[in-house]
Amino acid sequence: METANLKSIPSEEKFQDTANKVIRHGEPSSPSLTVQPSQSHKTLELQSSLKWSFWTVFSSTFITIFFAEMGDKTQLVTLLMSAESQSPGIVFLGAAMALISTSLLGVIIGYWLSKKLSPKTLDLTVAILLLFITGWLMSDVIC
Amino acid sequence: MDLQLLGLSFITVFLAEIGDKSQLAAIALGGSSKYPRAVFLGSTVALVLASFLGVIAGGGVAQFLPEKILKAIAAIGFAIMALRLVWCSESE
Repeated sequence: METANLKSIPSEEKFQDTANKVIRHGEPSSPSLTVQPSQSHKTLELQSSLKWSFWTVFSSTFITIFFAEMGDKTQLVTLLMSAESQSPGIVFLGAAMALISTSLLGVIIGYWLSKKLSPKTLDLTVAILLLFITGWLMSDVIC
Repeated sequence: MDLQLLGLSFITVFLAEIGDKSQLAAIALGGSSKYPRAVFLGSTVALVLASFLGVIAGGGVAQFLPEKILKAIAAIGFAIMALRLVWCSESE
């Protein structure tokens, strides 16, 4: 089974496409449920490419947001508050909880929006939003 | 445990972060991705690590990390993701 997975790497893009279509209409966490039992071999390959994709999403999100946040006002606020107070640990704890809640809120809003909009409109909206963020970041760099 | 300080830092950072770049990015990426959970994890770890570095390094953080270069790289990353979204859905 493992070697079958390895051999599927050249055609990964094709399965990625299939995976996209399955997921768009189904549950994100259990794509294999929507696949017919007779396609169990394909399911395995699907799962392997999906696993790879989870970490791709994680790392691309991590890298872009981490780089965007370095030296940003949130980091400066945390820095100043922890320097002023005697207990930087508590400031960090409060800041971490705030950051977790805002990003959770953001992801929930995005997920809710993705249910409301058609895939084409969604892609366009997200692309415009990402380009807007790009422009915002570039204005930080230039100014 | 100083609850007042905890609440103060929570509210300050929460208000600073609402509607900021990284939250918009979380909305955009969380909506377009098949893995909202991965987006949530990625952005949380990135944000917490960034503020942790802020607390640890204090004012020295700007000296060893070229902030503008990092932001430019992030900007390029977002632009690539935006173009890929448009490109890939067009060619489908």
